[in-house]
Amino acid sequence: MRLIDVPRTTSFRLALRFLLLFGAASLALFGFLYWQTKHYVVGRIDDWLLREQALFSSIDRPNLVERLDAHVVADPSLERPLTLFGPAGQRLAGTRLNLPATVLNSMPHDVVFEFNFRQGNQDLTFRGVAHRRPSGDLMLVALDMEGPQAFAAVLINAFIWGGLVTTILGLAGAAIVGADAVRRIAGVTRATQRIVSGDLSERLPTLGRTDDFDRLIHVINGMLGELERLMQEVKGVCDNIAHDLRTPLTRLLAGLERTRRRSGSADDYVAAIDEAILETKGVLKTFAAILRISEAESGARRAGFTDADLCEVVADAAELYEPMAEAKGVRLLLASDGVPAMMRGDPNLLFEAVGNLVDNALKFTPPGGCVTVRAFARAGTVGLEVVDTGPGIPPDERDAVQRRFYRTEASRHTLGSGLGLALVAAVARLHAMDLAISDAMPGCRITITRAAAIRPVTTLSHAGLRIDSSAAFAPVSSPGSAPYVS
Amino acid sequence: MTRVLVVEDDPQTADEIKAALADHGFSVDHAATGRDGLLKAAAEAYDAIVLDRMLPGGLDGLGLLATLRAAGIDAPVLILSALSGVDERVRGLRAGGDDYLTKPFDFLELTARLDVLLRRQAAPQRETMLRAGKLEMDLLTHVVQHAGRVVDLLPREYRLLEFLMRHAGQVVTRTMLFEEVWNYRSVEPTNVIDMHISKLRRKLDPDSAEPMIRTVRGAGYMLHAAD
Repeated sequence: MRLIDVPRTTSFRLALRFLLLFGAASLALFGFLYWQTKHYVVGRIDDWLLREQALFSSIDRPNLVERLDAHVVADPSLERPLTLFGPAGQRLAGTRLNLPATVLNSMPHDVVFEFNFRQGNQDLTFRGVAHRRPSGDLMLVALDMEGPQAFAAVLINAFIWGGLVTTILGLAGAAIVGADAVRRIAGVTRATQRIVSGDLSERLPTLGRTDDFDRLIHVINGMLGELERLMQEVKGVCDNIAHDLRTPLTRLLAGLERTRRRSGSADDYVAAIDEAILETKGVLKTFAAILRISEAESGARRAGFTDADLCEVVADAAELYEPMAEAKGVRLLLASDGVPAMMRGDPNLLFEAVGNLVDNALKFTPPGGCVTVRAFARAGTVGLEVVDTGPGIPPDERDAVQRRFYRTEASRHTLGSGLGLALVAAVARLHAMDLAISDAMPGCRITITRAAAIRPVTTLSHAGLRIDSSAAFAPVSSPGSAPYVS
Repeated sequence: MTRVLVVEDDPQTADEIKAALADHGFSVDHAATGRDGLLKAAAEAYDAIVLDRMLPGGLDGLGLLATLRAAGIDAPVLILSALSGVDERVRGLRAGGDDYLTKPFDFLELTARLDVLLRRQAAPQRETMLRAGKLEMDLLTHVVQHAGRVVDLLPREYRLLEFLMRHAGQVVTRTMLFEEVWNYRSVEPTNVIDMHISKLRRKLDPDSAEPMIRTVRGAGYMLHAAD
């Protein structure tokens, strides 16, 4: 962008528009002032003229002549002419006015009027009042209008010059503002071009002011930061997918090549094919998990939200995993506060998330240990937690385990895709819930909570129930529990 | 022979579905557009229809389904879709579909579900007593007996067995069990359902070398009906 573009900038046009508006307003204001002032001055003059005339008409003729002669002596100028004319129009007393007969004869009586004539080499304008006395004489009281007219001329002059200076300054100001905008936009354009050409770490320049433009740029820079983070994450995920899928695909290929090389019996082929099918299914499962995480992250599943009871979801998950706990020799406990934990959500995704947490907990808890699951609704929050007595997750890895494909040192040699907790985190985010990993001393506690408006009915009816964590622990199923059929 | 109509626009997917269904013993017809599918479904009596949710042209899967149902064609319809959301599934079933399968799917899953749909069509479930081999289940009192001996079952085990008995002699996949018995629609966790089945097996006939609930490799389970 060049300086020649200044008139095309929004700032310049805005300034120009403002200038025009300001000019129009000034013009209107001046017009009003001018009209008011003129009206006032002329009004004062007319009042004086009528008063003066009234005064003179009340005086008898000898006195009047004497007064007029005294006035001529005192004020020989033509500024305030006072003249008494005879019935034929000849001057009897007072100021010598070189009035043409046409003016004299066409004068209205007892009202203020304006008249011009030439005296010497001057064109003169007067306002005056004429009065025909009972004797037939004509008394004229007048005032030279040169003073008021000069005043009006000064006013108009002042306005014209003032307007001119304002316009020039305004245009200059608009140009400066426009040039400033051109410079800033040129800077933003250059930075944007660098970003487009691949430098995602570039940010738009700010001037360190707190104006709207800088605020906008801060917002855009924030967006760029988020984009950069996402791009890096996507890149990381792509790398991880490539890395994690190479292993099973290599295994698959090796198995197929081995089978072909050995060309054994039909049973060998069937076994090899089954193995290949299993391996392929594993790969597809990994893809499906990645897709579901993306789906949860996109928020598309929010359309399927219903009222879900976390207690129910947690109880179902505990029930589902009971045989696995039993097989591993780990006690799986379902803790209950007896209060429904209602929230808007997708029960299927929540179930999958809890299932993943329980699955993980069971995987890492040594035999003889214990895994506790619980849903809770108290003090305006709903949530659930899974606590195990396993080795726990080191504090510096607690964020990392929520990323796709991340695996702690301890989990590297167990089965799993490294996607479980990433899915849990995505489901939590979809439900506007916070996922927290803490130390259960010993073991790991994973809590998912959300500040939620619990239904008033629920809170009221359970207000007297346990609010603290003194929950009733009950094994999901124990040898002593009543079977369904007795 | 069971006749199935496959309405699927992607030729490769259609060929694979056709092959899988033919291998399963069905006679398969194929339509590539909604219009063609509607004409075929109206002209001949099919035992089941496999319908792609998204079809090119004016008539998509759900539109076709609604037209079929409006025309009084009540053959069971299994909807195939790339859309996995719960609301998508609900929409599909509400439009008159009988089952909903998200792509990509296992062909064994497809055939197992078709079997279930065909069976449901053939025999409406009004019985109060289920029988399979030596097993008896009273649906009113919830008493289960194996060879005259009462078997104690937890509620979930009872429902698991009920589903297996209703589909005795048919392959039921883990996904079907997870959806029907646990009532959740998400990816079924690996191994856990197998463990529930093992527990159920042990309760039913602890001593038998040949369990009534048999594992079908790569697919799921089947309750062996005959003695």
